[in-house]
Amino acid sequence: MLRSLLRRLNLADGRWALPCFLAVWSFLVIAPLVVLIVFSFFQTQFFMTVYKPSFYTWNDLFSSGRFEVTLRALRIALTVTVIDLAIGFPFALWLAKGKASRTVQAMTLALLTIPFFIDLSSRIIVWRPILDEHGLINSFLRATHLASSPQRWMLYTEWPVHFAMVISYFPMMVLPIYLAMNIIDDTLIAACQDLGGSPFRVLRDIILPLSLPGILGGIVFTLGSALGAWVEPTMLGGGFVDVLSNSITSAYSALRVPMVAALSTFVIVLLIALLCLLALAMRRFVRLGEVFRSMKP
Amino acid sequence: MWPGFAKWAGLGLLALIYAPIAWLALLSFSARPLSGIPYPLSLANYRALLTTPGWTGPFLISFVIAAVVGLVTAVVACFVGRAIPRSRRAGGIVLLALLPLFIPGVSLGAALFIFLRVLLGLNLGYWSIMLGHLVWSFPFALIIMLVLTTRFDHRLLEAAADLGAGSWRRFWDIEFPLLRPAIIGAGLFGFLLSFNEVQRSIFLRGTATTMPIWNWTMASSQESQVPIIFALATLILAIVLPLLGFVFWLIFVRIEKGR
Repeated sequence: MLRSLLRRLNLADGRWALPCFLAVWSFLVIAPLVVLIVFSFFQTQFFMTVYKPSFYTWNDLFSSGRFEVTLRALRIALTVTVIDLAIGFPFALWLAKGKASRTVQAMTLALLTIPFFIDLSSRIIVWRPILDEHGLINSFLRATHLASSPQRWMLYTEWPVHFAMVISYFPMMVLPIYLAMNIIDDTLIAACQDLGGSPFRVLRDIILPLSLPGILGGIVFTLGSALGAWVEPTMLGGGFVDVLSNSITSAYSALRVPMVAALSTFVIVLLIALLCLLALAMRRFVRLGEVFRSMKP
Repeated sequence: MWPGFAKWAGLGLLALIYAPIAWLALLSFSARPLSGIPYPLSLANYRALLTTPGWTGPFLISFVIAAVVGLVTAVVACFVGRAIPRSRRAGGIVLLALLPLFIPGVSLGAALFIFLRVLLGLNLGYWSIMLGHLVWSFPFALIIMLVLTTRFDHRLLEAAADLGAGSWRRFWDIEFPLLRPAIIGAGLFGFLLSFNEVQRSIFLRGTATTMPIWNWTMASSQESQVPIIFALATLILAIVLPLLGFVFWLIFVRIEKGR
């Protein structure tokens, strides 16, 4: 009985999986995102959401102090992304095309992936006793007489926020770039060198264009996470570093749903806008379409 | 000079990722963890952890949620991952499935909150946390599955069919054993991602509390609870790190050999 039912449904064949998945996925991912955008055009009056379309919430978003918050979030996110790219790109190059052995590569990849699975708040909170006024570094500085007074800028300022974010999002930058570089054909590089190309030309004409999808991916992941970052600014900023995600959570606890929606949409819009700018800037050097075409076997 | 710089800058950042984790474990044995100096050593924090109520509930619940999420992710990723290479619109579907990776966690959490709570008027709780975790962990699991399913040799299935095997036997006797490392990897990824997820959970929790949420509230409230968090985080690491080692052994040794 069960057997014939199974055969009728043809479960094992698995062709039913995609339509089912797409249906569930559009309910769980697409629909909420659409609803998010729609809600940003409603407004809050007397603690109730008024379902009448208007630009009120968006106006509010830009006119109140949140503009400053946006600028700060954007500045921090961009700084972190640039630093991560500056360290991550050469590192990925070394990992993929340098002299690292297979074992070193595999171990480094594992080390880069493991932090994704470790609770962020406990990873970040440990910086507090290290950077604190009475913490490890200050005790060390005073014990060695390198500094006479405690260095207060190391905690609850923008410095530790930048610092922790650069560290947290480093793997997100390196992994995509590495994956893209890893599939670059070594014979292309050898050919360029045989024809007398300098290391700089190999980098500019072969590695850079061919790893561009990875670089873009790394930038998306890093920028996206940094724009939505929340644990680092809250724990190491000590209330002095207000970013967009703080505004989202405070609007959330005040139950101002349209404002939550507008801010969340705004984060996504910022991300897309920055990427479009980036793609436009890149177009002067390489044509993106050709990059993706060249990746196909 | 440049390769050396690239190597050591990157490795330095890696060290900065791991040093605090090791320091956290060390500090959890310190009598005064907030001083930042692991001396004198004591087990006081662990003793305090045992007598502190309130974390066992969230711990167990997080474990159950993570187990369910891991199981569901593995099964769904298995079937979707098998179907994608056969589809004509594979690229579009993969992009759609990977969409949650590109959206900041705060935005997606808020989107799901507005959709489920405000629009549909549902009471949030463990089930909505689970949904949020599923959406977050599925893209990772799918990537692992696709590594194996895109390389899968479909002639094996045709040969089995020629020998008279039904579709169920073809799946169970041929495809499943070959895909098993990826399925287990996908499940463990789902488990670990869910077990440590906090950004989306905060929006989707209703009144429920999971382990990372408990950690987060204790840590951000700047209370004297912080030493206990250190001890608890160390215990969790002692569970999570061996599991991760196993996953990577699966991925690098088993899957790499299989190709």
